[in-house]
Amino acid sequence: MAKNRTSPEEYTRPLRRILVGVLVAALLALFLVWRIDSPRVERFRTALVDTLVPNMEWALVPVTKAVGMVEDFQSYTRIYAQNQELRRELQQMKAWKEAALQLEQKNARLMDLNQVRLDPILTHVTGVVLADSGSPFRQSVLLNVGKRDGLRDGWATMDGIGLVGRISGLGERTTRVILLTDSNSRIPVTVQPSGQRGLLSGDNSSAPQLEFLEKPDLVRPGDQVVTSGDGKVFPAGLLVGTVAQGSDRRLRVRLAADYERLEFLRVLRSHELEPIKDPGGLVGEPVAPAPSIDAENPKAESNTGEGSNG
Amino acid sequence: MAEARHGRVWVYRGLFVAFSLALLFLRLLPLGGEIGKWPGPDLMLGLMLAWVTRRPDHLPAVLIGLVVLAEDLMLMRPPGLWAALVVLATEFLRARSTLTRELGFAAEWLLIAVVMVTMLLGYRLIYSLTFLGQPDFGYAFAGTIGSILMYPFIVWGLRVAINLRKPSTGETDAMGRRI
Repeated sequence: MAKNRTSPEEYTRPLRRILVGVLVAALLALFLVWRIDSPRVERFRTALVDTLVPNMEWALVPVTKAVGMVEDFQSYTRIYAQNQELRRELQQMKAWKEAALQLEQKNARLMDLNQVRLDPILTHVTGVVLADSGSPFRQSVLLNVGKRDGLRDGWATMDGIGLVGRISGLGERTTRVILLTDSNSRIPVTVQPSGQRGLLSGDNSSAPQLEFLEKPDLVRPGDQVVTSGDGKVFPAGLLVGTVAQGSDRRLRVRLAADYERLEFLRVLRSHELEPIKDPGGLVGEPVAPAPSIDAENPKAESNTGEGSNG
Repeated sequence: MAEARHGRVWVYRGLFVAFSLALLFLRLLPLGGEIGKWPGPDLMLGLMLAWVTRRPDHLPAVLIGLVVLAEDLMLMRPPGLWAALVVLATEFLRARSTLTRELGFAAEWLLIAVVMVTMLLGYRLIYSLTFLGQPDFGYAFAGTIGSILMYPFIVWGLRVAINLRKPSTGETDAMGRRI
């Protein structure tokens, strides 16, 4: 009996060991390939997520809604306190609304006087959050818009109020948004009243750090932080949040976007800025013109100059 | 008789895949766990280690590798690394299944804890060897502590839900041999 039991295993065990070795080696090889040539593997990953997650939507949505309903029920229990709070806030908001209306009128008048033309290409696409990456070490969400909606890698994503993150990973029907709190997120920002420029770097906490400021003394808690548009990553002037000082005396940013409820996100279509290369017709000496039409040139130049001014 | 038992192994494999998919699904839900809170326990890891310790014949290494690789891909982890570590850990436990069968639960728990901590250290070592950014040690270690604390509950859950336990003496396997 005992012999009968061990004999087949004696043949299969070495073979099994080899197979397991091959399996582990293949998995590690995949990891190395990812480390060396990450875009290709990431593209594969994006394609996989792109095919799987939208198909799971029918199951994801009801569960999410059900949990949301339970949370809503819990909030009914403290509805009276909430109501009082809302009334108080409403009073304050009414005052603000009046101020805002006046400012808006004033702004419109000033803009009219200055003939400001707003940037026409800052339009947006709104997407619904499909899934979370779920791990506390990777802060990202999946949106249900993708390449077919004309999105591109690197575009800024906002909720109604503030910046949420940037697109990193595009599928046909889904996009992955790396949140500002992810430890890989680095965004160039400006701190508003002092104009200090710095880098907002996520570190898996709810308030990302503000780093590489030139003069941190000029930055106070409560200052407003907006994107600076350096490095052509983002359009300038998107609201990020307010400066706060953590318990470790480091400057951090309390984000304006509501990270607890990321449901609808808008992706800003930011097209690349055209780089200005030539010194301009009036300022510098043009390089191209041939010497034969020298007599005509000054007129033509002054014409184009006026055209671009008007 | 033998065929019926053989079929049951496949039922258990199907159950394992279903549990893993359910856990993966739960982690994908956009419920937005608060940022910066302590990482939760890795239930998948506990499930696989508990299962392999109880019935190594149910989970072939290839199945474990594929399931964890899918998890790697969906959860934005470096693909393949964690899968390789989990396969190595389960192989280690599989080779000691005759030993763990005779151990009491406390000793088994200790063994599992050592395996989990070793996996974490190996994972972080390879991360730093390949110059990947990683979260603080204390933060990641909290997750492992959570997984170790959840292990008895997983074992209990498996026992209650699908009656998965260590084979008792005299049980026979698919080929009619004694396990």
